[in-house]
Order: sequence, then structure tokens, then C-alpha cells
Amino acid sequence: MDLLSFLNFYLVPGIVLGSIYALGAIGITLVFGVLRFAHLAHGDMATMGAFLVLALVAGTGMNPWLALPFAMIATAGIAVGLHWLFYEHLRRRSAILTVIASLGVALMLRAIVQVVWGVDSLTYVGGIVRPESYFGIRIKDREFWTLAATVVLVVALMLFLGYTRWGKAMRAMSDNPDLAQLSGIDTRLTTILTWTIIGLLGAAAGFFLGINTELKSLMGWYMLLPMFAAAILGGVGRVEGAVLGGMIIGIAEECSVIFLPSEYKSALAFAVLLIMLALRPTGLLRGKVL
Amino acid sequence: MEWLGLLNYAVFMAIFIGIYAILALGLNIQWGLTGLFNAGIAGFFAVGAYTSAILTGPAVEGRLGGFELPVAVGWIGAMVMAGLIAWPIGKITLRFRSDYLAVATIGVAEIIRLVAKSEDWLTNSARGLNNLPRPFGDLDYLFSQLAYLGLVLFCLALVYLLVEHQFRSPWGRMMRAIRDNETAAASLGKDIAFRRLQAFLFGACLMGLGGALLAHFNRSITPEGIDPMITTFLIWIMLILGGSGNNRGAILGAAVVWIIWSMTEFATDQLPTEMAIQAKYIRAFLIGLMLQLVLRFRPEGLLPEDPTRAGRKTGGGGS
Amino acid sequence: MTADPILSVAGAVGGYGGADILHGIDLTVGRREIVGVIGPNGAGKSTVLKAIFGLIRLRQGSIRFEDQDIAGWPPNRIVRCGIGYVPQVDNVFREMTVQENLEMGAFLRREGLEAALERVYVLFPDLVEKRRKPAGSLSGGQRQMVAFGRALMLDPQLLLLDEPTAGLSPRYCEQIFQIIRDVRAAGVAVLLVEQHAKQALAFSDRAYVLASGRNRAEGSGADLLADREIAQMFLGG
Ligand SMILES: Nc1ncnc2c1ncn2[C@@H]1O[C@H](COP(=O)(O)OP(=O)(O)O)[C@@H](O)[C@H]1O
Ligand SMILES: [Mg+2]
Repeated sequence: MDLLSFLNFYLVPGIVLGSIYALGAIGITLVFGVLRFAHLAHGDMATMGAFLVLALVAGTGMNPWLALPFAMIATAGIAVGLHWLFYEHLRRRSAILTVIASLGVALMLRAIVQVVWGVDSLTYVGGIVRPESYFGIRIKDREFWTLAATVVLVVALMLFLGYTRWGKAMRAMSDNPDLAQLSGIDTRLTTILTWTIIGLLGAAAGFFLGINTELKSLMGWYMLLPMFAAAILGGVGRVEGAVLGGMIIGIAEECSVIFLPSEYKSALAFAVLLIMLALRPTGLLRGKVL
Repeated sequence: MEWLGLLNYAVFMAIFIGIYAILALGLNIQWGLTGLFNAGIAGFFAVGAYTSAILTGPAVEGRLGGFELPVAVGWIGAMVMAGLIAWPIGKITLRFRSDYLAVATIGVAEIIRLVAKSEDWLTNSARGLNNLPRPFGDLDYLFSQLAYLGLVLFCLALVYLLVEHQFRSPWGRMMRAIRDNETAAASLGKDIAFRRLQAFLFGACLMGLGGALLAHFNRSITPEGIDPMITTFLIWIMLILGGSGNNRGAILGAAVVWIIWSMTEFATDQLPTEMAIQAKYIRAFLIGLMLQLVLRFRPEGLLPEDPTRAGRKTGGGGS
Repeated sequence: MTADPILSVAGAVGGYGGADILHGIDLTVGRREIVGVIGPNGAGKSTVLKAIFGLIRLRQGSIRFEDQDIAGWPPNRIVRCGIGYVPQVDNVFREMTVQENLEMGAFLRREGLEAALERVYVLFPDLVEKRRKPAGSLSGGQRQMVAFGRALMLDPQLLLLDEPTAGLSPRYCEQIFQIIRDVRAAGVAVLLVEQHAKQALAFSDRAYVLASGRNRAEGSGADLLADREIAQMFLGG
């Protein structure tokens, strides 16, 4: 295999998949870091976002990329709603009960998608898309836009967390929740804000997966393992870690088909997860361990 | 003969309840007693089912197995294999909070599902393993069913006594102490991870047994037969609704939830076909919702954990 | 007793959900007063501060601050009404910079952030050059200063300090004590829990001795220092 075909068949798709995982893993790492539990419904929340775009496209005929922001906002609303309905009342009890509740939420979200949209594969737009060639590297428009949008979202999030009052409050809560509370930070609002961001990014991850492959009711659930692997690989609580981890897992999965039957792609993420937990549970960038 | 049909159905239901009760007891050791969140019950269940099927099933060209060993050996093998799969997972993740175990067990269940679906040489892929021996399978239908029910209840009784004994033993008290007070437990240091591992393996073995019991009852096991989410979820609701930490609660929960679950199937079977497919997913939604309602309004379950033995009001869970 | 106390705790009973830790604690802090709290390990000193700050709920007793009964208020409301608290452990945001730590202390402050930062940097000149460093990378003494500075960002009327000098070198101890004096000079009352009992007694206007969740003695620092029994119990002879 020459370099160019490696780039075209493995690296480019790997980076695209990696950026999808990265966006998903940011959500996982934010819940893990700020709210301190493993959110098992994150994948299905992404599925919901992807299908909301589909609903908008089908309902209004608008371009899916234009529909995305609306779906992101709607998913953010769903995320906050889930928090209110199912998670908040458990916060005073054991954190692991929240994890159990989130598995139930995963099942509910998935069931809603299956009832409304069925279980068959769907696409946003029909037809075959031909990639453009740049110096021999072939990249499809939608891949290009996926990467560009990921960069914009990640940079925006980093700026928000690094330089705004509420962004810093989120980091403070992730760093030391008790101290955040007794410094006067409104941890309830910060929690809601965190869910909003998680919903926004989750919907984007789901949409990017949907537009680059296809929409299926289980698409998000199958992303859960790679997203968690990416978050733990990068270091729990670290946004830049989630991006790094997502990229590594995405590229590794695409390359794994060279030596692994493709149906076992997800075994790779699982292996990474176990290896990291065994050898370096803080991840590459020294994250938290619950 | 209307009553005969009813009796048949009741026996059939009772067999399922018995099998699920064993699974719920397995989960009760992991969650109720120790506070471990196993989100991949279906995986251990499937391992048990396939292991026993391979050990006892008929030989087929080009496929592993066909050892035609006695069923009892298959069941023991099922427990051992489920434990063996659980061991590395527990070893790696039980040092941490149970969130990691949850994710890892989802992963295990997923990999097992993939293996079951795609490995011809081992699991015969989508066609599954069939023609498994069934104890008392040569008797007339009703007697055969009754005999199998007896066998399941015998296993359930054994499991119940064993689990109940463990719950009351010093080991059980220690597990409860670890569950209820992570900080005090931390002084036990490395020992905790080991104790948790014991509980996790114990529970996993029982889940393997449950899988084997079901496989031999159906005389077959297919990937279709184990929808990971639904199986895992039903068992969780059985335990939480019944009362985590209470073994009789686990059994009661198995009965209540299985009866409700079957009734809803009964109801949705009446629907026209177009809606029947959607109804399947509506049922899935409802069990998800039911879990939320139990967590919210009756977290201690129908039969709460005995407070004189436990010192804690709201079922299981680490820190 | 104090004529016009800024804080008065009366008959405080409570704990962490299990058995009670405090069995009826009384104490008062006057305006501009430095009040010490000493006692053996596990006496409940930290628990008293947590109760005042609303981190644990009392089963009985009252906590009055200024003219309000603040028992049962959540911590963020208590911060707002003018009490600052420096916990004994985990009292900085390790991964945030020194400056961000201070900003978080002023989270409730809508304006005057720059001026408040300036005041804190004047009190803790060592922190100025570290302002862009993560607090977790600082030495113990500097970290204590960050924690102290964070609690001062809202200009509290009363400061609760939980063993601010624990584990610090004598140089830092002296510096911390000096800052407490400066803070008091600026009109702030201080409730100081200390391990170094002798130093604390010598330093405080008044002090309480707690043991097993009860008041054992109270008086001026000098009187308590002179008391034989107390000296034997807590001061190592
Ligand atoms: N978070 C907690 N949960 C339960 N018990 C606690 C907790 N923190 C302290 N205790 C107990 O409360 C008692 C008093 O502790 P504390 O107030 O920290 O003592 P100190 O006077 O040394 O500051 C001790 O017996 C301690 O074990
Ligand atoms: Mg203390």
C-alpha cells in the first residue's frame, strides 16, 4: 500500500471519525469531570440530535447543515430536561444511581427514535457524493465541513472554558466541587450550563456521524464505547484530552480493518479502555480518576 | 381444555420467573450487597448459555463443541466460563468507582454479542446452536415442563440458600460495610478490590447459570434470543423494584416484573402488525421509564433491605 | 462573652448524618476580634466551622450572624452575607491559575473585581508573580495564601480559618499570622482553628477549648495559657 492510498483510505476517514468521537468524548468527559458520573445515555442523545436534524430536513426541506444549529439547541433542551427529570433528584444519593438512571434514559431515548423513525437505515440526502481531490488527497465536501465544524466547536468551547466567568465556574466545579460551592458559585446553574453544552456537542457528533455514514437507531449506542475509551485515554475531565483520545481511537479504528475483521472495530476501543484503566487510569493528559 | 392451556402457560411463566430470579439473585450479590453496577448482565448470561450449549450439544462438522457431555457438566462449565470472563474485567475496573465497571461490562456484553453473531466455528452465527439436550425432555409436554420447572426451582432454592448464607456471613457484613462507607472501607486498602472481585465473580457465575438454564429449556440459543439492553434491564428492574439487598425481594421482583412484562406482550400481540413493531419499542420505553419511577418513588423496593442487618435506607451503591 | 457579637453559636448539636459530633457548642465572635479554637484532634473543631458555613446541618441550636439566623442556609447564601471560609484541606482549585482561584472567590461580585484582586495582591505580594501558575503547582504555604486570598475576595466581615498554618514552615506561619493581623486591622473578625495551640492562644484575643464536641474552657488567650489543667491536656505540659 502506498502512502497516498493509506492517506485516502485510512487516515482521512480516521480523522473524520476521530473528530466525531472527539465531540462525543468531550460530552462524556464533561459529565465525568463536572458532574462526576458516567453518562451512559450520551450516545443515544447524539442519536436523538442526528434524527432531529432529519426531522427538520424532512419537514422543511432545508439543508441539513442549516438544520444542525436548531437540532443542537433542541438537544441541549432535551439534555437539560433529562437532568431535571431523571438525574437531579438522585444527586443527594449515591452517584452510581445516576449512572443506572442514565442507562434507563439511554433505553428510553433509543425507543423513542425507534418508534418515531423506525429501525431502518436512513440518510439526509440521497445520491452518491464524489470526493474532491487536493494534491491526490481525496476528501468529500461533507468530510471537509465536518472537520471545519469540529475545529470551530472545539475552539469555541476552549475559549469559553478558559476566558468566561461561567466557563471558569465549570472548570472550578470540575476541579473541586465543594470549594466551588463554598466560593459562592451557583452549582445548580453551572450544572444546567454543562448539560446545555453536552447537548449541543452531542447533537453535533450524532449529526456528523449521520451525514458521513447513515442514520440508525443504534448509531449512538455503538459510539458509546469509543467515546468512553477516548475520554479515558485522553484523561477524564480534560477537553483537550477528549479531542486527542477521539482522534487516536478514530484513526486506530479505521486502520484496524487492515488486521481485524471489520465487525470487531468496536473491540479495539474496548481494548484501549481496559489497557488504559490497567496501566494508566489518569489517561495521557493526567485526568481524574473517580 | 381451557384449564390445561392455563396450566401450561402458568408453568411456562414459572420457569421463566425461576430463571430470572436466579439472575436477579446474581445481581443482588453484585449490586445489592456490594454496590457494583453491572450493565452487561446479558453478556454473562450469553456466555453461560453458549458454554453449556457447546459442552453438551450435538457435534457438527467444522464447529467447536459437540462434546455431548452431561447437562450438569454444561451448567458447571457455564458458571466457570462466566466467572472467567468476569475475572479480568473485575480485576481491572474494581479498583475504581463502579462507573468504570458499568462501561466495561457494556463493552463485554457488546463483544460477546459480536462473537455470537459472527463466529461460525463457535456459535454458528445468526442461526445459533440448536438441538440442545433438555433434561426430562422425553416426557410428555406437560410433564416435561413440570419436571423442568422442578429442576429450575431446585436450582433457585440452592442459589437462594447459598446467597442468603453469604449475606449473613461475616463476609456479607464486610461487603455491606464496604458498600455503605467507602471512606471507612478505604482503610481496608487493597483488600477491598479483592472482596469486590469475589462478589462480582460470584454474581457472574449465577448469571452464567441462568443463561444455561434458559438455553436448555429452549433447546437452543441464538443471538436474537439475547437482546443485551432488554435482558440487562429487566433484571435490573426486577432487583430494584423487588428491593436491592433483599434476596426475597429479588425473587419477588423477578415474578412481578416478568408477569407485567408478559402481560404487555400479550396486549401488544393483539395489535395489527404495523403497530406491533412499534409496540415492541414502546415496551422498551416503558421499562426504561419504570426504572426511573422506581428510582424516584420507591428506591428501597417492595421488600426493603433489612435495616437491622444493613443500616442503610436506600438500596445499594458505592460512594 | 462579647457585648455585640458579629457571630454567635448557641447549643449547636449535629454531625454528618450518623451519630452527633457536636454536643452543644456555644461560641461568640465580636467585631474585629480574633477568636481561637483549640482542642485535640477529632474534637470537632472543623465540624463547628462547617456547621457555621452551612456545609452540615445542625439538629439543634442557633447560629446568628449580624442580625440574622443563618442556621440551615446554603453555603452560597452565607458567602453572600459576608462570611469567608478557608477549609482545612483541598482549599484551592489545583488546576486553575492563582488568578483564576481568586476570581472564583469573587464569583458573586459583579463589579470591583480588579480592585479586590489588587487588595489581595497587596496582602500577598508573593502571589503576584505566580498569578499565571496553576495553584496545584505551588508550595504548601503559597497554596494556603491562595486559599486565604480567595476567601477575602468578597470583603467578608468574618473569616473562618481552619488550621491555616498546618504543615507550614515557621517563615510561612509567621507570614500567615501577620496577614491575619492585617486583616483584622482592616476590620474583619476572625475565627481561627489552630493546631499550634500555644501560638494560637498567644495570638488570639479570646479562645475556646473544645474536646469531644463540647466546650471545655474559654477565656482570654493569656488566661488559658496560664491554666495548668489546660496546659497539661493540650499543650504538652
Ligand atoms: N465527613 C465526615 N463524615 C463523618 N464523620 C466525620 C467527617 N469529618 C469528620 N468526622 C468525624 O467528626 C469528628 C470530629 O472531626 P473534626 O471536626 O474534623 O475534628 P478536628 O477537631 O480535628 O477538626 C471526628 O471523630 C471525625 O472522625
Ligand atoms: Mg480539623
